[in-house]
Amino acid sequence: MKKRFTFILVIAIALLANMSLVSADMHGWWAEAAAPYAGATIRGVSESTPPSNYVADVLAAQFTELTGINVEFETTSWDQMYSKAINDMEANTGIYDFVYIEQDIIYSYLAQDYLVNLTQFAADNPDLAYEGYDESAFTSFADYFKNADGDLFGVPMEAFVKVYLYRKDLFEDADIMAAFEEEYGYPLAPAENFDQYRDNAMFFTAYGENMDMDLWGTTVQGSTGHPASTYEFLESIGPSFGLYNWGINLDAGSAMSANGGALDGDTAVEALTFWLSMLPFAPPEATSSTWDEVASSFAAGRAAQGWVYGENAAWIATDESRSAVTGNVGVRLPVTAPGVIEAAEMGDGYIGYYDGGAFGVPHSSRNKEATLLWLQFIGQSSVQAEWAAAGARITHTATFDDPLIAEQDAKVDGYYTLLEEQGPLFAGAPPFPFHAQVREVIDPFIQRAILGELSPADALSQAAAAVDEELSRLGYGM
Amino acid sequence: MRNPRTGWLLLSPTLIILLIFGFAPFLYVLFVGFNQWNVFSADDGLVFNGLDNFRRLVFDDDFLHSVGLTARFAIFAIGSEIILGFVLAQMLTRNFPGKSLFRIIHTLPLMVAPIAVGAIWRLLVIPGFGPVPFFLDRWFDLKYQIGSYPDQALWTSVIMDVWHWTPFVTLTMLAGLSAIPKEPVEQAKVDGASRFQVFWYVTLPFLRPVLLTTVFIRIMDAIRTVDEVWMLAGGGPGTRFTGIYIWRVVFPRTDYGYGSSISLITLYLTIVLCWLLFIAISGRRKGEVE
Repeated sequence: MKKRFTFILVIAIALLANMSLVSADMHGWWAEAAAPYAGATIRGVSESTPPSNYVADVLAAQFTELTGINVEFETTSWDQMYSKAINDMEANTGIYDFVYIEQDIIYSYLAQDYLVNLTQFAADNPDLAYEGYDESAFTSFADYFKNADGDLFGVPMEAFVKVYLYRKDLFEDADIMAAFEEEYGYPLAPAENFDQYRDNAMFFTAYGENMDMDLWGTTVQGSTGHPASTYEFLESIGPSFGLYNWGINLDAGSAMSANGGALDGDTAVEALTFWLSMLPFAPPEATSSTWDEVASSFAAGRAAQGWVYGENAAWIATDESRSAVTGNVGVRLPVTAPGVIEAAEMGDGYIGYYDGGAFGVPHSSRNKEATLLWLQFIGQSSVQAEWAAAGARITHTATFDDPLIAEQDAKVDGYYTLLEEQGPLFAGAPPFPFHAQVREVIDPFIQRAILGELSPADALSQAAAAVDEELSRLGYGM
Repeated sequence: MRNPRTGWLLLSPTLIILLIFGFAPFLYVLFVGFNQWNVFSADDGLVFNGLDNFRRLVFDDDFLHSVGLTARFAIFAIGSEIILGFVLAQMLTRNFPGKSLFRIIHTLPLMVAPIAVGAIWRLLVIPGFGPVPFFLDRWFDLKYQIGSYPDQALWTSVIMDVWHWTPFVTLTMLAGLSAIPKEPVEQAKVDGASRFQVFWYVTLPFLRPVLLTTVFIRIMDAIRTVDEVWMLAGGGPGTRFTGIYIWRVVFPRTDYGYGSSISLITLYLTIVLCWLLFIAISGRRKGEVE
């Protein structure tokens, strides 16, 4: 027994010594590779999201400690992030050494040749290539940031899907279940189709009113002063009805049904009609809500169910200092129209938006070498699990199997498992080089529909015509 | 020291800065305004298109709507600020308990950055979380949702602007009132003029230069309002003023040519408006003298 104990002790010491040697080696490599750039400051800009805040609060400090390279990371609003990044890259001012590239804008950036080919740049600078960084370790989400040759232009830093969240404490309450079944004639459950979604929304809104609670039946990301409403319609609601690629036929250069588009088609009108019909069952802040406010509303317990970006799932389900519904969050696939899931499984469509982004290096950066080190640091496997637990984002295949994520998965009702197994049913934004330009054109019509100034059919008809006009002006039209 | 060259030499730093940071950008905007230029178009270079951008904005419903909204915002905001500012300035010419404290508190909003003002007001009025909708609902059963009702968003913007800028008007009016000589006022009172007559025939003519300057400054500010309103309502229906519309066209849409042409027209409208106002006010004074 004593011998066995001694043997185990020796093995453990050897393993620990080996680990510390490896760690020392790693530490040494970073310090050595970064030596020419020690004291330099690299600057980046991103949207203030849970994954970005983790980068700013945790990873930046770790990297500076290892390398002596300072990281100034600006987390700001979504609008400001885009303005700052695009203005910097367009004017070639070199303010930012790395910028957040949301998946939907990558095609615009690549078309303008704003970004450094990271694969090529690492190959050209072998002294800076960290062996613990492996491009093949990324999930297939990284493919969105590659060119036709497979070269990477952005290191994925977040990837998540927009899911259906519901409050388990309400949906599993015996009295509430009985009341629902008595009223609707079937058992209360997380919605699997739009009729059921509507019934749930109506029921919980009435329940909140009757019980004098601040509770409504659904979230709606319906800000009338922000593109978030257009995004929820085009990238979450539309696809779940079978409206893909914003209803724009890129080959035909048109969004109008008459020319091969679908933005003013029956499916789009049906989707918008359904979504708008949810507004009376949403909290009063719905028409001022972007993705952030939707997450906050759900976390405050003001909605029984809703479409919420997955990056918020972890903190809503686990962070008691910010959420009133911890331990009571259920996660499911968003509801879809008949045939939509089957089409997605066949690769003929998708059920919602696979959102996320990467950090890329603008050509205008003055510190490309130091920034390459930084991007490899955040792209290495060893930092992924804790980042994923904090920000509900996964960009590495191996992260799904990490014990920390398995533990977190249970707390978030299997969100990470859903992301791994059913993530392929979702898709990134269509490959438009004119993403923001056309979305800006659509915004006012969606906002006017939310206000009730336009019917869904009129809003989409006018939006499709305006899109065609803008496409023509941009040189992509008919 | 009377050598004109010395004067120009002393002025030259300011003139150079003005040329570089004021006139040169203006010339650039003027140049871009006559071009089609969107960096995300298939052809991302500048393409001269003559007056097309200006023709386009005449038929641009969103732009025309933004001009109308801006006009409503400017009229109500500036009108309220002038009246309130004058009343408060009159009040501050007299002594009353707590006058110093009132003056300090009243001036505080001026020290807050517009973006912070917008953020504060957003926190106050955002439905579901802000105290204003909560109490309006609880006490008056009034649905106050700036995201759902464009008129509420507009009026909230007006009130926010009045809160922020009335102290500025008060201070300028106070300076104007302090500069009015006492003799004409006393003479008018001795001659039996009523309080309104004293105000209309004595105080107001003396205040006219200050009034004109204040109104000009506030008109220019109101027409280019962006940050406060942007923070408050994001430039949605009811608050999509011209400044915010320009911002949307230039930045998210990256339509630099069209955005420049709207900026130029807005500048032109501002100058015309101020000129008409100047003619109207100074013309009336001339008539009175005659």
